[in-house]
Amino acid sequence: MDAIDARGVAVTYADGTEAVRDVSLDIPEGEFFGFLGANGAGKTTTIKALVTLLRPTAGEVTVNGYDVETESRAVRESIGYMAQETSIDPELTARENVRFACEAYGVPPGDRRGRIADLLELVDLADVADKPAKDYSGGMKKRLDVATALAHDPPIVFLDEPTTGLDPKARNRLWDYFRRINDQGTTVFLTTQYLEEADQLCDRISVIRDGVIVASGSPTELKSRVGGDVLEVSLDDPTDERLARARDVVLDAGGLAGDAVATTDDGLSVTSPDARRLGTDLLVALREAGFAVTGFNVRGPTLDDVFLAITDEGLDEPNGATGEDRGTDPAEASR
Amino acid sequence: MSESTARKATGNGFLTDTWVNLKRWLIKTTRNPFVMVLSLLNPVIFLVLFTEVFGGIAGQAIGQAMGTETSYVVYLVPAIAVQTALIAATTSGIGLVEDIENGMFEKVLVSPMHRGAVFLGKSLSEVLRIVVQICIILTLGYGLFLLDGGGGAYVATGLLGALGIVVVGVVFAIWFAAFSNVVALVTRDQESTIIGVNLLQFPLLFLSSAFLPVEVLPGWVQVVAAVNPITYGVDAARALMFGRDVMTVLEVTRFGGLWNTLVPALAVLVVLDVVLGAVAVRFLNRASGAEVR
Repeated sequence: MDAIDARGVAVTYADGTEAVRDVSLDIPEGEFFGFLGANGAGKTTTIKALVTLLRPTAGEVTVNGYDVETESRAVRESIGYMAQETSIDPELTARENVRFACEAYGVPPGDRRGRIADLLELVDLADVADKPAKDYSGGMKKRLDVATALAHDPPIVFLDEPTTGLDPKARNRLWDYFRRINDQGTTVFLTTQYLEEADQLCDRISVIRDGVIVASGSPTELKSRVGGDVLEVSLDDPTDERLARARDVVLDAGGLAGDAVATTDDGLSVTSPDARRLGTDLLVALREAGFAVTGFNVRGPTLDDVFLAITDEGLDEPNGATGEDRGTDPAEASR
Repeated sequence: MSESTARKATGNGFLTDTWVNLKRWLIKTTRNPFVMVLSLLNPVIFLVLFTEVFGGIAGQAIGQAMGTETSYVVYLVPAIAVQTALIAATTSGIGLVEDIENGMFEKVLVSPMHRGAVFLGKSLSEVLRIVVQICIILTLGYGLFLLDGGGGAYVATGLLGALGIVVVGVVFAIWFAAFSNVVALVTRDQESTIIGVNLLQFPLLFLSSAFLPVEVLPGWVQVVAAVNPITYGVDAARALMFGRDVMTVLEVTRFGGLWNTLVPALAVLVVLDVVLGAVAVRFLNRASGAEVR
């Protein structure tokens, strides 16, 4: 049985906006599934349709074997849901928030005390458990939200952009919890616009754009669609004219096809299966042609590149910056 | 596949769901004793200042309307009890907006709890609060009454009548609580809700039988007072306070004594409760439904 099975889901809002046009998903039990897309691509609308908060305009959805429309209560009992906006009662303490969640889902009274203690331990809030949640930092509130979503030990957990707005340390901490619950057999459905996040966590990814799934596969499969490693070169005085000339130098020296070399804000980006081997030759050729190289970096393709390749037909658009403005690639920092 | 094989939580019955929600709102109420005190502040100031400052002058007008030897404290306490219920009712919508803003509304919707139990639990916590606050006002009024000389009875109908005043307060509060929830769901914004419901408070109170007998008010105010729900709430509570028919906006004579006020006044309030309650339930259903909009 699939944990989540969606067929031809469409959601059209009253104003005519087709937020989700045709989404089919088939997520086996125990999978860590990533739903990747930019803002407004339809991620949240899809997740709301899956967790019974929104009735699809068309299509069929079963979650944990139950139909979201006719068996919505059984679906609700089967899932944990963490909304994009942190959802906790700030006037209650962490312990009270988790207890409320336990009570709401009918966790047997005898199990509650231990369960609450375990969950607070899991999200590292045990030592502040009796302080009102309104005094917590953003990261702590998110962690508390995670704990409440897991209160009834649901077989399926939906996480809607769970790490948006968190600092890297808090984000890594959440990733650890998510991996841990997935290791314990929980199916996880995660939406994200952080491509690195999907790469780090997910077994399988679907990319959504304008309400339609445009690509699906394992992170490795998706990466292979980009066409090799990426050499990024920064140049001194990167005017358009100089960059165009530098691009010609590189194309010539590497014997590369035109779409392998793109100009970026401050230099070039070379995508090729041979990027690592060619690197030195290209840098030398640039210097001999009178260009001062101020930085370079060879990296494997990230999902940023995949995302661009799929959603912007990015390989035909040499001006696409490879994820620079998103800042999600750790290799960026080394340049 | 059959229900028994899929792992899932069990959920609760309707009563347990109600209790779980009631408990959350009660914790929130006690967590913020300041709010409880603050919301009593206006009624208490009105009670003390009005009786002490206007007591002498108002006494004449009231003497005309109610007969001699009437303490303004006794006259005013039922009005303050209704004012307390009115203010408490406004917080119902404010609580709902808070829940929408901090995500708890959606969190509860995605849980298996019964929708009706969710709102019933919250409403019961508000009823409890109104009961406590009216009891405080009645006690405070008794203190002022003793200070005033304490001639005659404080609540003519005794303890049962005092209990009746609390019930009147609750019956009165329902329509306004429903109204504040509708405002909350329309605006979905805390400040708008607070302003929206509070703006109404003073005009409603002053254009009614709350502070002076309707007969001594100007003609147009009398017209407004006759259709103002506050008048019916205050008259019902006041009838219990004095143990006789005090209503002047409706002349009802078939029930005898204080029932001539109580029956029509409560009837008006109950109709109002049902109508506004139905509107609020419609809005709540819309807000908590999964229909795409």
